Amino acid sequence: MLYNVDDLSQSLLQNPGTNIDFVKHFGIPFFSQIHVGVGSTGVTAYDIFSDDGRNINNKVREVMNSITANDFVAVNEQLEILTLGWKVGQRGYFSGGIYQEFDAFAYFPKDPAVLAFEGNNDYIGQNFDFSDVSFTGEMLTVYHIGFNYKFNDELTLGARLKGYSGIFNVESIDNTGVFRTDRTPNGDNFFRHSLEDLNVTVNTSGYASLNDDGGMTVDQAAKELLSRSFFGQNVGVGIDFGFNYKMTDQFSVNGSFQDLGVVYHVKDVENYSYFGSYATDGLEPLFPELDDDEETIPYWDVFEEQLDANLRDETYANNYKYWRPLKFNAGFEFGTGMALLPCDPLVDVKPRFLNLFGMLVSGVKRPRGFTYGVTAYWDRKLNDNFRFRLAYGADNFTQTKIGVMGSVRMSNFNIYMAANDLIGFTNLAKANSASLQLGLQFIFKEL
Amino acid sequence: MKLKTLQIFLTLIVFCTLFSSCFKDVDFSEAENIQLTPDLKVSIIEYQLNEIDFTDSETGIFTPVIHDTIRLEYLDDSYVQDGLMYAEFRFKHENTFSFPIGSKIIFLSEENNSQFQVNYTIPAGSDVNPGIIDTLHIMEGEEIKKVRRSINMAIELQILEEPKSLEGELDFSSRGLYRFEF
Repeated sequence: MLYNVDDLSQSLLQNPGTNIDFVKHFGIPFFSQIHVGVGSTGVTAYDIFSDDGRNINNKVREVMNSITANDFVAVNEQLEILTLGWKVGQRGYFSGGIYQEFDAFAYFPKDPAVLAFEGNNDYIGQNFDFSDVSFTGEMLTVYHIGFNYKFNDELTLGARLKGYSGIFNVESIDNTGVFRTDRTPNGDNFFRHSLEDLNVTVNTSGYASLNDDGGMTVDQAAKELLSRSFFGQNVGVGIDFGFNYKMTDQFSVNGSFQDLGVVYHVKDVENYSYFGSYATDGLEPLFPELDDDEETIPYWDVFEEQLDANLRDETYANNYKYWRPLKFNAGFEFGTGMALLPCDPLVDVKPRFLNLFGMLVSGVKRPRGFTYGVTAYWDRKLNDNFRFRLAYGADNFTQTKIGVMGSVRMSNFNIYMAANDLIGFTNLAKANSASLQLGLQFIFKEL
Repeated sequence: MKLKTLQIFLTLIVFCTLFSSCFKDVDFSEAENIQLTPDLKVSIIEYQLNEIDFTDSETGIFTPVIHDTIRLEYLDDSYVQDGLMYAEFRFKHENTFSFPIGSKIIFLSEENNSQFQVNYTIPAGSDVNPGIIDTLHIMEGEEIKKVRRSINMAIELQILEEPKSLEGELDFSSRGLYRFEF
């Protein structure tokens, strides 16, 4: 909702090459941007917890049947700790700051969930695929500096360098393995159970120390995570890049990518790996000739030994790198309704449009590819101090995403608030997604 | 004045929407009633016997009774102890020996006390026409506690008639269908 809003400094975070119309900004620490976004495809809270007298287990079963392994849950939170910027020369603008981000993303592990919820009885001859297990989660602090440069009246370019300080990370992607139960009419028993090519890995950093000494309480863990907020143990680097190109006075195109970057996890790392293959028809007694005082063959122990030899789990501490979820934006904007400018020959200000109509395609790279969203918006400057934006969008979560943004300026003090999926806000239980952004800051303009 | 009105109107809409938003028509306390109810079909044991298994390896003398005991460790696991509600055992014998064989399957506790038994006679058969017996044994209600108390499965096979010929095979298949509630 803040993309291309030229009088909010946060638009520089989404597109460092965006057109801006302020000369200096300074955010209220910890309050200049608070952003929370939650989304789920395929299921809402209402689908399971609807107060309609139906059995909840039937509803869970219906959801499990309708949901797919490509449905997902995503949570993103950003808290801007510090932001500031100022104009450099006639064409440049320097900006920098610190923000903390939490990002979690998980595909629905359909097959393992069905196996746990329903068992294998109705799924004889079918695969339970462990590649359905795919999730990532991270908490980090981002230090950034960016530069926005207006090359000429048409082209503005910008870039941002980011330093990542990892607080916590977990990822389990590219897993393989299939469990299946087959009828074996010509075999040794009714069924044969097999687990083939299992290879499930979970990488963590910042978790092992929380789990030491029998584990911490939630409060202790939260304190420990907070203590790592500014200088976490694992670092990384990334860049953002963006542009805005004015094709005519009224029409411009723009685009950006964010977080082309990687975090190297080398400290407090713990990896868990489960791998191997095994198949069994059941235990096979051998009817040995035993004296009365002799023990029977320990078939179960032998079975467990075979299982342990073929299906293994290991815990180790291998460094790993984590690619941040790359985001992209691409859009165009059309302006109408020229603003009246002050009749002062000493003030050199380009004319602005009161109405801006735009369209934006955006995406985020996730383990199985990009998630996409398309948004069309109308941006209206009512006066120098109040601006709003109405948007309609469609994405993986919903086809009816109505958003609204309002920005108010009192002298140089600015308050903004943006909410997306307003229909969802009327009853969050039925919403597939909801997001909210708000902030307080000082924005200084030439006029 | 008009702008001011619109400004207030839009601000009110946003604030009313956001601050009146809540979860409606849902009952999250229902979460307590969510149950995992998996039905697991599991192979238990299988064997294929022939005349050698009914012959003493040292003396070569015919042995009319053979037996073995298999520990089913998973019956002691917490998910069985806490969640097993129903068990259905299927036992199938195919006999090509020319004599009937008595089969006893006894589920024993840790102290080797019998909890329940499944006994039957496997009919005589031949290579072209094997004697087949296929049984289902269901344990539910109060009886499921007998399964939860069990840990060993004892098998005894007894040749019930004096054999004219010892040639033949005896195949056994078994599986359990376990219903859990967690």
